Amino acid sequence: MIEVLRKIPLYILNRRFGWPKMLPMNITLSPSPRCNSRCLTCNIWMKREDEFTLEEWDKVFQSLGRTPFWFTVSGGEPFMNKFIVELCQSLYTHCRPGIINIPTNSLLAHRIPHQVEAICQNCPESQVIINLSLDGVGEKHDRIRGIPGNFAKFEQNFRSLRELDCPNLTIGIHSVISRFNVDDMPELYAYAFSVKPDSYITEIAEQRVELDTVDVGITPPLDRYAWAIDQLIERVERRSFQGISRVTEAFRIEYYKLVKRIMAEQTQVIPCYAGWASAQIYANGDVWACCIRADNIRNLRDVNYDFKRVWFSSEADRIRKSIRNKECHCPLANASYTNMLMHPATVARVGTKVALAAWQGRREVIELEPAAARPER
Amino acid sequence: MSWITEHVRKPKDASYARIVLDRYRLGMKAGGAIRGVRIIAGADSCPACRAVAQTVYMPDDAPLIPIKECTHPEGCRCAYTPVMTYQDQ
Repeated sequence: MIEVLRKIPLYILNRRFGWPKMLPMNITLSPSPRCNSRCLTCNIWMKREDEFTLEEWDKVFQSLGRTPFWFTVSGGEPFMNKFIVELCQSLYTHCRPGIINIPTNSLLAHRIPHQVEAICQNCPESQVIINLSLDGVGEKHDRIRGIPGNFAKFEQNFRSLRELDCPNLTIGIHSVISRFNVDDMPELYAYAFSVKPDSYITEIAEQRVELDTVDVGITPPLDRYAWAIDQLIERVERRSFQGISRVTEAFRIEYYKLVKRIMAEQTQVIPCYAGWASAQIYANGDVWACCIRADNIRNLRDVNYDFKRVWFSSEADRIRKSIRNKECHCPLANASYTNMLMHPATVARVGTKVALAAWQGRREVIELEPAAARPER
Repeated sequence: MSWITEHVRKPKDASYARIVLDRYRLGMKAGGAIRGVRIIAGADSCPACRAVAQTVYMPDDAPLIPIKECTHPEGCRCAYTPVMTYQDQ
């Protein structure tokens, strides 16, 4: 993590002046768009691609080396992929990331825990985050995900993952706030917090080229979203967190506030680092700055799987220029967290908040202690 | 028109229509929430493109992009988008 913090000024310089040349620290992989969900908010499952083989992924990871700190193995449904364990093993061997993040719809609850256990054991120095999708409680979840019984599978999967004895496993819940569930969010928050996940995150449903959701109208109205997210912010702020959770929760609150501003102002509120610090590699080897625009920089098959030849190409510079010129804006969570980390004012706000919370927590502990029990000073 | 709607109106390669319409055929067959396909045109599109952009088509009946009758000097930049069951009928 310290290595990541050390690189932040370099990424800021890179975005501003084009130097020093940097590989992304945050990479999303989509090994396959295939998915067994039929979500109202996503059409990626209809796509079919000439997908990379495991050997091809291995060559890409080799070319990336140890720069990327955060990998998201996305989809489609990642656990439909027969070589998900081997894929994670390969990226761990070559890249040794700090975090491997895998979302899942839980529909393959019978086999996911075994695969997660294998990934955790094979990647002992990485934190493995499994984010279980949850868009409603009970039948509301099933209706949005298009699969009867999906909520029951979520519960089964969550319980089974909880039983695993893996010190490097984090089990999160991830909700997409769309026009279909925005009014039900308080019920969903109550449920999600009641099962005590290690983390709970939400993201707004939005138009994405990757998901083929442009112009289909899934985004909730801004006033309804603001109402829903303010309740989550209040809930998070009421809880007291310890250690690193204080930092992550402070960033989450910043993110939720940022989304409201992006939606209201319809611009990049803080500079976007997609194309500098974050990237996505699609199933067929296309390299994108992000999944919202899904502009193909170049295909890795055309450059003998050498990521650097794609990343440091003139095509990549052309897309970076467009992003730098604010020709796009979006509240994509994955890119936004990286963007916040690169934004000194946001980092300063988070730092102040965390320091204050730590100081207040310490003061409360001292005031609660009986005078006799206090150490002499 | 939002930036992303404009963004998808990039020039397409020759296989675009086949790939996207195949995708939507599969989506309708496999029980998704898709009920058809629509063409996205822009304010600067030619009359031929704007004329076909109003209709919801079945994938088998959708006009192929690039639209043959397009007269725009930069060529046809239309795009397909799915029409979902929850959108206004």
